[in-house]
Amino acid sequence: MKEPSKKSEIEYCKVCRLHHDHGSRHKYFPRHKDLLSTFLDRFRTKIADVRFFLKNPSVLRPQEQSQNRVWCVFCDEDIVELGSSFACSKAINHFASSDHLKNVKQFLSKNGPAMDCIDDFRISEANVATWRRKCQSLGSEDASSFKGSCEQLSGTSNDIHNKLAFKTMDKIENVPAQLINSHHSSDVLPLQYNTNKYQISHSELPGVAHYGSYLNMDSSHLPLHTDPPSNLPGNGFGKHVIPSRSKDYPSSQDQERKQIKGSYSSPGEVGMTSISSSHSSDACGNVHSGAPPPWLDANDGNSSNVQLNQSDMSSSFQAKIPGNTRKLNPNRVGAAWAEKRKIEIEMEKRGQTMNSKVDAEWLPNFGRVWQSGTRKESRKEFEKEKRKLVKTESISTESEPVKIQPYISKRARRETGENGSG
Amino acid sequence: MSSLLLKTLTKKEEIDRIIRDTIDEVLVLRFGRCTDTVCLQHDDILAKSVTDVSKFAKVALVDVDSEDVQVYVKYFDITWFPSTVFFFNAHHLKLDSGTADHTKWVGAFHIKQDFIDVVEAIYRGAMKGKMIVQCPVPPERIPKYQLLYKDV
Repeated sequence: MKEPSKKSEIEYCKVCRLHHDHGSRHKYFPRHKDLLSTFLDRFRTKIADVRFFLKNPSVLRPQEQSQNRVWCVFCDEDIVELGSSFACSKAINHFASSDHLKNVKQFLSKNGPAMDCIDDFRISEANVATWRRKCQSLGSEDASSFKGSCEQLSGTSNDIHNKLAFKTMDKIENVPAQLINSHHSSDVLPLQYNTNKYQISHSELPGVAHYGSYLNMDSSHLPLHTDPPSNLPGNGFGKHVIPSRSKDYPSSQDQERKQIKGSYSSPGEVGMTSISSSHSSDACGNVHSGAPPPWLDANDGNSSNVQLNQSDMSSSFQAKIPGNTRKLNPNRVGAAWAEKRKIEIEMEKRGQTMNSKVDAEWLPNFGRVWQSGTRKESRKEFEKEKRKLVKTESISTESEPVKIQPYISKRARRETGENGSG
Repeated sequence: MSSLLLKTLTKKEEIDRIIRDTIDEVLVLRFGRCTDTVCLQHDDILAKSVTDVSKFAKVALVDVDSEDVQVYVKYFDITWFPSTVFFFNAHHLKLDSGTADHTKWVGAFHIKQDFIDVVEAIYRGAMKGKMIVQCPVPPERIPKYQLLYKDV
């Protein structure tokens, strides 16, 4: 008798946004896993934005401070950059803090995938230290250029897009001309400007094209990455994408600079920059050539194994070879007979001529209506009856045909006898 | 129409073959005449349900007017038509529906679901090693009849 499942107290799942009493089993439900992957993706894009500023610290203008905010889903707090001089400085400090790490661990243990993706949701101390150094160096430079850009912008409308576009121009001029590649690729050029506030700030670095409203840093890797990874199932996704990101980040800045196009459109006009495909051609290939995606290389073919497993499973479901089906209860009715028969069928298929001719007298195992003993007895009884029936039929056919004569009474017979004699 | 969808067996060899070749699936054999109205209703239910139970059951019709089949008609003590007999791995399974005859289902099913429930109950019982199962159909939908013992 199966015990009824334990009822846990009602909890609220942040990921699924519903109350449940599944207890600790909830995190293994497929719906939860799907929602968790999208949930974590969204946070990954946010932290990617913050990481961008980690690599490229920029001064945060007081007007933009209120807009520059991040909601940390693990700590359930809003990080607003009030009073900070550099973009995302408070966010960077928060993501590097031990409290945030503790909350991330708690979240992952309660909700979700394995702890190996914990590094996606935090910033290491080393990175923070380098960022601080960059800020310090920037702080000294920027004091002089800040005023200049302010004067330029005072004439234009108070549009944040344009303000940052000017800043971008300043940055581009600093890039050495050797590294500028004016390659007009036939690749699809994604949107550069976006309504998302972080995308806007990222337009400083051209070549960082925008895909939808989420991907920033990864847009430069579009030749390698195809669709947004949200299409991949469940938790496996996280493992695929994160290594590529972490691998690429240290070198991404250099690569992006190489891909910068020389000419730049005038401010106020949404210009397009082409990304050189030299990087992709150097690599193994792209999605069009059918090359494996980079996350597979990073994971040493983990996902390819997953795909293989899936295909194996599907093929096993489709294949209905007798004898290769899932394990059946050995105590089921007629199990021994079924196994024997399967072997006979296989041998017949292989061509070994078995005694395929069934005995004409064969009868299945049957319990008769009025039987009192075992089924064997009922069969014996039936065969006895059959033999009796056959005997009576044979007797009736063997006997001479009876001559039917009309009945003559005794008196009539006596009279005929007397008449005959008299 | 249902005879087009379901196999009709007229010889003992065919019945033997289908019983022996149905492995790990319930075999439903309907004994009856395709011209009889109750049989027609029964066959209609069977034909409509055959795809629903196709993963664990096979359905076949047996024509009782055929001479070859008379041995089975006698062996299975079939006196009423239609009669449905259930097999699993060449073993006959009994169905306790509260009637006098547990060896078969006598009469037609009222609704498709009744037939599917019966076949499912038989399959589940057979997989657990039971030779007789309880009928899941409510008593009001079970056809009533009188059984005669040796014509008494």
